[in-house]
Amino acid sequence: MKLLEYEAKEIFSKYGIPVPKGVLIRAPEEVMEHLAEVGDAVVMKAQVDVGGRGKAGGVLFAGGTTAVETARELFSRDIKGVPVRSILVEERLLIEHEYYVSIAVDRSSRQPVILFADAGGVEIESTASAVRRVIVSPLLRNIPPFLMRELLGDAPKELAPTINSLYRVFQEKDAMLAEINPLVTTPQGVYAADAKLIIDDNALARQGIAVNRDLSAREREAEKHGFSYVELDGSIGVIGNGAGLTMSTLDLIEYYRGRAANFLDVGGGADQERVMHAVRLVASMPGVNVIVVNLLGGITRCDEVARGIIAADVSPTVIVRMAGTNEEEGRQLLAGNGYRMLESMDAAVRAAMEVAP
Amino acid sequence: MIYGDRDLGVIVQNITGRQGRFHTELMNNYAREVGGRGVVAGAAPGKGGQEVHGVPVYDTVREAREEHGATASVVFVPAMAAADAIMEAAHAGIELAVVITEHIPVHDTMKALAYAKLHDCTVIGPNSPGLLSPGECKLGIMPAHLATRGAVGVISRSGTLTYEVVDELTRAGIGQSTVVGIGGDPVIGQTFVDTLARFEDDPETEAVVIIGEVGGNLEEEGVKSTDLPVVAYIAGVSAPPEKRMGHAGAIIEGGEGDARSKVRRISALGIPVASRPSEIPGLIREVL
Repeated sequence: MKLLEYEAKEIFSKYGIPVPKGVLIRAPEEVMEHLAEVGDAVVMKAQVDVGGRGKAGGVLFAGGTTAVETARELFSRDIKGVPVRSILVEERLLIEHEYYVSIAVDRSSRQPVILFADAGGVEIESTASAVRRVIVSPLLRNIPPFLMRELLGDAPKELAPTINSLYRVFQEKDAMLAEINPLVTTPQGVYAADAKLIIDDNALARQGIAVNRDLSAREREAEKHGFSYVELDGSIGVIGNGAGLTMSTLDLIEYYRGRAANFLDVGGGADQERVMHAVRLVASMPGVNVIVVNLLGGITRCDEVARGIIAADVSPTVIVRMAGTNEEEGRQLLAGNGYRMLESMDAAVRAAMEVAP
Repeated sequence: MIYGDRDLGVIVQNITGRQGRFHTELMNNYAREVGGRGVVAGAAPGKGGQEVHGVPVYDTVREAREEHGATASVVFVPAMAAADAIMEAAHAGIELAVVITEHIPVHDTMKALAYAKLHDCTVIGPNSPGLLSPGECKLGIMPAHLATRGAVGVISRSGTLTYEVVDELTRAGIGQSTVVGIGGDPVIGQTFVDTLARFEDDPETEAVVIIGEVGGNLEEEGVKSTDLPVVAYIAGVSAPPEKRMGHAGAIIEGGEGDARSKVRRISALGIPVASRPSEIPGLIREVL
């Protein structure tokens, strides 16, 4: 789950990473109470989960007298379609130089990777050339000095403690990504001018995060049933077991020039109850008039699945492809209740295409 | 076959759990069918002295391994304790750990894999359906009846999609040497590169199907690393960016790891890429 900048900075601060003096406001008028502590020249940053926020108009500068006016203006904006509900008001830094540092999970080496560049800024991702990278063993709690020297090159040594603290944040907060862009030097020292932190969805509970905000209400509802669920914008509902097979079913719909309405992986042990909930959930999406159910597995009980589909009793057409135990019984149950069961996923998707608008 | 044959002695960690219990029985049914050793012991802390489907249970992996000469382990331990289980297996001298558990935090996995490496323990997974060498051995949860022995290796990040492809191959009369589910997590022990290297050393394997999906670029690294004839299939060409498609590892992040560019780059290397699973047997015939 992605944290907002102010949340990430609160965590950074606890780990000794210097962040600008700042305060979070939820209404324009609140800014006046805090100007004394933040300072007269401020930067206002919309707290929205949007890439390229600055370019999209999510960051404004203000002086003392215009602060409320500027805050009101920023609250009225949509940043790439996302409404501004809170603003981080920060002291304006006298920036001498900008750097970039990012710690991520490197799939190839199976270890944390640290990226560093002498030039920070918004376009860093597209100018990968000058970026140095080092791999750190996950068994180490700190970045060894020799690796830090390799990472920094000619950049000031004063950055090292901040980068090491960022690595501690990365490890201890179960981060998939911990990034400071830009990391700046000022006459007053080093600061994390921006902050990005993405927490591993599989570690949210132990990090004390109760609700995954990256999911929509319906996606969270699906999660409660143990489904993996993603909303798309087509008209053909999809239910599969296993992420790969479900994705493959979506792709097949696209191959036949259809558009899938969703991704729903019911997971292992698809019994009557789970299948019924899944079918009802997908049928409740607006615009869905046909649902493809594609289940495969040694232990999937086809009669149970068939009973689940029949019990769901939804208005969209349900087309089924399944293989497992009690296949024939499942087929007869479905046929007896007016449902079609086809032999292959290709056939099932083609049949759905005939029904889809 | 790769990773092991019918003489492989296997233990199951958390054998007393629902999944461990259930799949121990299925694994040993298969072992009996093919005349293999199968699951010889189980480990579950505090459950030593019990039996699961006739298999003795020990408190520790070390006891289970020493008493029965096991060299491999299948891990069914819940996510928050799974990294510990992998490290226990490695520490106790287990040479191959197959990790079925899903939802292990990535930092736990990174630590456990680094620790396993120190002890020369090969890890398949996490979030793996296991591996199956038809007629020899089955470690994990793959349905064995879909597979048939032959000359094609299969490596996949998925579970059920693997069964789909194995089923397609079997129906087309193309047998498999070993089917390996390397796991759907972002960080996994054996990658396409590692498993392809094993297949290269396997006299039985003449070609390999790799089944990838959105996220990362392990598929491309794999096909670049091998001289074996390879056919690829990549799931998720219709997946939207920044959305996790079921597997923890199946996500297009920061503009990287989308299926279309994977397909494009793999095709550019001269590797045939199937646009749907049903095309795979035909493409395999062409490269064999």
